[in-house]
Amino acid sequence: MADSVEEIKKAQKLYILIGAVLFTFTVVTVAVATQPWLDFGGHGFDMADMTIGLLIASVKATLVGAIFMHLNHEKKLIYYVFGLGIILALALMGLTGFHYIDPLEYGNALEGTGFFNPANPVDD
Amino acid sequence: MSAAAEVHASDGHDDHGGDHHELGFWQKYIFSTDHKTIGIQYGITALLFLAFGFYLMMVMRWSIAYPHEPLPGWMSWFLSDEWKSRWLQDGKVTGETYNMFGAMHGTIMVFLGIVPLGFAAFGNFVTPLQIGAIDMAFPKLNMVSYWLYFLGGLVMCGSFFVESGAAKSGWTNYSPLAGFADSQIVNQLLAGQTQWLLGMVFLISSSLLGAVNFLTTIINLRARGLTWMRLPFFVWAMLVTGFLLLLAFPPLEVAAIMQLMDRTTGSSFFMPSGLYSKTAGLLEASGSGSPLLYQHLFWFLGHPEVYVLLLPAIACVAEIIPTNTRKPLWGYKSMVYGVIVLGFLSFIVWAHHMYLTGMGPVVSNFFQTTTVLISIPSVILLTSMLISLWGGSIRFNLPMLWAAAFIPMFGIGGLTGLPLAFNLVDLHLHDTYYVIGHFHYVVAPGVLFGLFAGIYHWYPKITGRHMNTFLGHLHFWPSLIFMNLLFFPMLVQGMAGFHRRWYNGGDAYLMEKAEGANIFGNTVAEWLWLNPVMSWAAWLLAASQIPFFINFWSSIWFGKKIKNDNPWDATTLEWATPTPPPHGNFTFDVNVYRGPYEYSREDHEGDFYPQWEEPKRDEPADEPAEKPVS
Amino acid sequence: MEIPYTFTARKDTGLFNSKIGIWLFLASEVMLFGGLFSGYVFLRVYADYPWPERALPVLPGLINTFVLIGSSVTVVFAWASLKMRQWRRFQFFMGITIACAVVFMILKGMEYNAKWHHQAVRMDDFTILEGHTHKATLDEHGHLHGIHHGDEVPGGAFPQNVVVVETEEINLTLVRAHDPYVEDILEKAMARGATPVLKDDAFFYGAPKDMRFGATAKDIEPAERAEGEEKLRKAHSSGNHTAVKFGKKSLFIPKGTPLTTKLLDQAEEVFLDARSNNGRVRTDALRREWKRVRSEFPDEKRDYKLAKEIKITPELLTGRVAEAPSALTFAFKEPVALHFKRSVIREGDGTSRLKDDTILKGKVASSPLGLSVDAVDLRWVAQRAEEQGKDPDAVIAKLWIMENPGFKEIWERHSAQLASLEEHLTEKYGLDEHGNPKRVPTENDRYRIDWQDLVAFHRAHEKHLDADSPEVEDLRPGMMEGITGPDHKNPEFQHAFFSIEVPNEKVAFESLFTPKWNHYYAIYFTITGLHGLHVVGGALVLSYFLFFSKGLYRSNPEWLANRVEIGGLFWHFVDLVWIFLFPILYLM
Repeated sequence: MADSVEEIKKAQKLYILIGAVLFTFTVVTVAVATQPWLDFGGHGFDMADMTIGLLIASVKATLVGAIFMHLNHEKKLIYYVFGLGIILALALMGLTGFHYIDPLEYGNALEGTGFFNPANPVDD
Repeated sequence: MSAAAEVHASDGHDDHGGDHHELGFWQKYIFSTDHKTIGIQYGITALLFLAFGFYLMMVMRWSIAYPHEPLPGWMSWFLSDEWKSRWLQDGKVTGETYNMFGAMHGTIMVFLGIVPLGFAAFGNFVTPLQIGAIDMAFPKLNMVSYWLYFLGGLVMCGSFFVESGAAKSGWTNYSPLAGFADSQIVNQLLAGQTQWLLGMVFLISSSLLGAVNFLTTIINLRARGLTWMRLPFFVWAMLVTGFLLLLAFPPLEVAAIMQLMDRTTGSSFFMPSGLYSKTAGLLEASGSGSPLLYQHLFWFLGHPEVYVLLLPAIACVAEIIPTNTRKPLWGYKSMVYGVIVLGFLSFIVWAHHMYLTGMGPVVSNFFQTTTVLISIPSVILLTSMLISLWGGSIRFNLPMLWAAAFIPMFGIGGLTGLPLAFNLVDLHLHDTYYVIGHFHYVVAPGVLFGLFAGIYHWYPKITGRHMNTFLGHLHFWPSLIFMNLLFFPMLVQGMAGFHRRWYNGGDAYLMEKAEGANIFGNTVAEWLWLNPVMSWAAWLLAASQIPFFINFWSSIWFGKKIKNDNPWDATTLEWATPTPPPHGNFTFDVNVYRGPYEYSREDHEGDFYPQWEEPKRDEPADEPAEKPVS
Repeated sequence: MEIPYTFTARKDTGLFNSKIGIWLFLASEVMLFGGLFSGYVFLRVYADYPWPERALPVLPGLINTFVLIGSSVTVVFAWASLKMRQWRRFQFFMGITIACAVVFMILKGMEYNAKWHHQAVRMDDFTILEGHTHKATLDEHGHLHGIHHGDEVPGGAFPQNVVVVETEEINLTLVRAHDPYVEDILEKAMARGATPVLKDDAFFYGAPKDMRFGATAKDIEPAERAEGEEKLRKAHSSGNHTAVKFGKKSLFIPKGTPLTTKLLDQAEEVFLDARSNNGRVRTDALRREWKRVRSEFPDEKRDYKLAKEIKITPELLTGRVAEAPSALTFAFKEPVALHFKRSVIREGDGTSRLKDDTILKGKVASSPLGLSVDAVDLRWVAQRAEEQGKDPDAVIAKLWIMENPGFKEIWERHSAQLASLEEHLTEKYGLDEHGNPKRVPTENDRYRIDWQDLVAFHRAHEKHLDADSPEVEDLRPGMMEGITGPDHKNPEFQHAFFSIEVPNEKVAFESLFTPKWNHYYAIYFTITGLHGLHVVGGALVLSYFLFFSKGLYRSNPEWLANRVEIGGLFWHFVDLVWIFLFPILYLM
């Protein structure tokens, strides 16, 4: 563990820096979502804004995990455990979300415009 | 050496008990933090719940076999007239009561009976002993787990006595059925459905705490020299079970919380638009909810849960077979890898419970594939145990009888599951008794036999006395016969098409034109004669448990005393402790020198070589004692 | 006895127990929030109604994000201070962390509070109105009078969101009647000077003592019954005023007895006793019948064939069963107007039903829902029109709400502004190769008028600006005006919002902005509620380290540092969840 006093002293600057980066990213997220001059994709809220918002959030979460939670230098065991949790959470989300995909009837959602609502099958 | 050595050295003397003040009754037996006491608490509570769940089933079997006759006195004398007048119609079991008993039978057996017995009771008592630890990593948390479980059980079972009755929407509690049930109750805290959910939240919290505790204990408190590949298979199975509980239960907790929100705050997570019921009228809620979401969240737990039920039983059997065949467990390593793969795969097969929901073919194919895949590790486990019997001089003592019966019984359970993995076959079989038969073959003669084996096996360690052999046989043989008489006909009826939720034993199939009930109506009608057969088997099965209960309690005082601390001549660490193990378990500094199943080694005199026995000087060392694991 | 590795790391795993424990726990937390997020994704993707986008005011969420990130930094510093053995510094940083938690919860509370006081209505034509309910009072006849904003609100006023029923009769189911409801009805009736009294004589005939077959039961002949009834009446008139017990659990409640909860309890007790008795008797009868049938057809084994021979004749039961009504009807002399919250009553033609199966006979009086509207959402109307292949604008033009002159003017302003926006977008971003504008207004722009729009319109009107003037956009209130949503106490806003009374029959669904209103709020309250519980739990643990761990610091500072590390890990995780919650709930 990099927990010796010298290393902690050194790390403190990093913590401040990461804090500042997190603050900045938060401001950027809000600006992208609310300011007309920073509107990605079409006018107003759309897939592009959502993607950017989630991307920034993922980066922020990674920073918190890696630096504040010391995942950048952790034991393998903890990677396994936490990684397994994340993989399974994504599996739950993905497999649940794809429930209705039917290439024959509704068109292929993966190639189309996104998820398909079974109530509105797409006409060919 | 490591810190473990120091702690053990300072701890493991004979005068160990002396420097502690004696604990009072409450701390010693009720609010104990000792893993062994907690294990026993779990075990006894779970056995009581199992008995209660069994009773509910007996009533249901009456309703199926004799739907027009009042419930006989021997099953209802202890119920108050007021309760009976509310829940029985002219003494007959009503559909509503049948549903209530059915839902609670499933819930109690799975969540309050077998999981606590298998994972919590055996896991608690045996695991720390087998890894040479003095206790669990978090003893207080362990106590909290037990009491949360107890509380959850009380809340759930207490709901039988509220005006609405207990939960009545199946053990799966599917919305919107569950959303409508009891929705007429103004004070939702007094509705059985709500109490089911509250109880579930308690049980889940208990399981989560338990899982964290088990995993930490296994990872960090192994004795010196007990490397991963020297762990008894039992511990491996508990490790995997712990991960299943840890990661599969939270989605169910989510589902329970969301359903609680639906019930108490009027949200409609799981209530679709435009729902209409005869009693409640058009649903007054925002609607647009998704019953499918509930099913996904439920089965994300539900499937791993099956393995949570199963693995502790396999674990017990895997300990008992080598001990009584005096041979190493065949394919130990492949069993270990098998159980890890099994654990992982069990997370991604859940939607095979949902083929009937009309999911798209992409997801359906995915789940069919994973479901078929998971049979591979299961077969590895079963085959390894079967082959372990080959060429052994088997001691057919009580634990071994049960363990030997476990293998074919679980085999039937597993193999009857294969057809259900395929969407097309499942469409026909899903709502029939075939599924009930399959599942019960896995859980009753399968898991329960394994757990009975475990009880007979470790009873001498817990009490210092053997259980009575005659009563044991009186328990085993009738149980074996009646289990099969009870569950095999279910497979037959199910394939004929008998619907699994009919409370009146399929009266509808006996109409003038039986096909009016179902296209299989006539076929089913031919097999209805099996109903009373199965019911009688169920009641006689209950009678066969009486010798067990007598044996279980009387042997504490009257059983044959064991000859030494290791009565079965076993090799794993739990047999190295005094009997019963004291607080702190071991009286010497535990050091492990070899694998868990060193029976009949040619280079060693005697037919077993315990893990803790120091090798003689001239013997070659087995493998390096300390090996970094991660 | 001491558990090894409680604060020192085990050599081969490199970890101490609680660190493994917390990471395992966090993995399960990942699954917990993963499940909730899955729910969010599933519900949003498959929603069959327009999802409320960016429905929450951003500012509180933004501040809370800052607060949590800040506390994450300070908790790391608190841990680092302990590692360097600086107790005062640890106290300082840990103090800030806990203060952050408090600020977070306060802001969250304000946000929740605003939602719980904000009303939404879905009309039968799928128009959605948001706003504050008017206060209302009842006149001496019990009829509803809405009090509009600006009017003086007398004491005893309540939200104008009730259904008034001119009740003639109340039918109470004995086992189901919910005491608080009954008390509420009584209180309201008293206020009108009316008392519900029993409509007809109610006889509860208890059964003779031992009703079992085989015992010498005494049958009640019709003549005897009349005699019994006479006795009951006599006993009643001779002094016992409300109810008389007679024999074993018999009861006579004469016509005209006023309704009390005590009376109901008494009746319920006797009813349950009678029910128990009858259940026992009928079960006995059925058993005897089976015995008879089995002996009559010894060769028939099939249950369902024998069941046809079972006949429980009335003669079998005569004199053995008790008779007790399961419900009592109470009547008013003349109809009394009683009001009920919409959520507990299911009003119907002539008979309405409360949640506890109490049936109210009487017609539903005019019970409009009065609202000071701060937002109108026609997206659902438009969506449905498009689904049915109709022109949304044509459908909107025919909506009921268009008959409201106030709204009509607002809609015209809105349309003008929308046209100006369209023009502006085309001008700025141009046309694509098909000649269509590259950027077009969103559904939100087109069919939703939110409170900022209303205020901007009002301000433009005050400044005599044209409806399509681009300056109108700049008049929208900023983040700071209305931190948690529209402020109905602000006099300027009051003028911007318009009042409306939606007739009862046009209200399809109404709710405060609680989980009931739609999935967005349901998931918002569920996830943030659980997250809030995590914040509170984490803060409690950290406070324990701050206030009660000086002793441990003196004896074993490394252990305390490890504990703080564990608490910190949990705290970071809570922050990590919020990092996703903020964009998902506030910005999307």
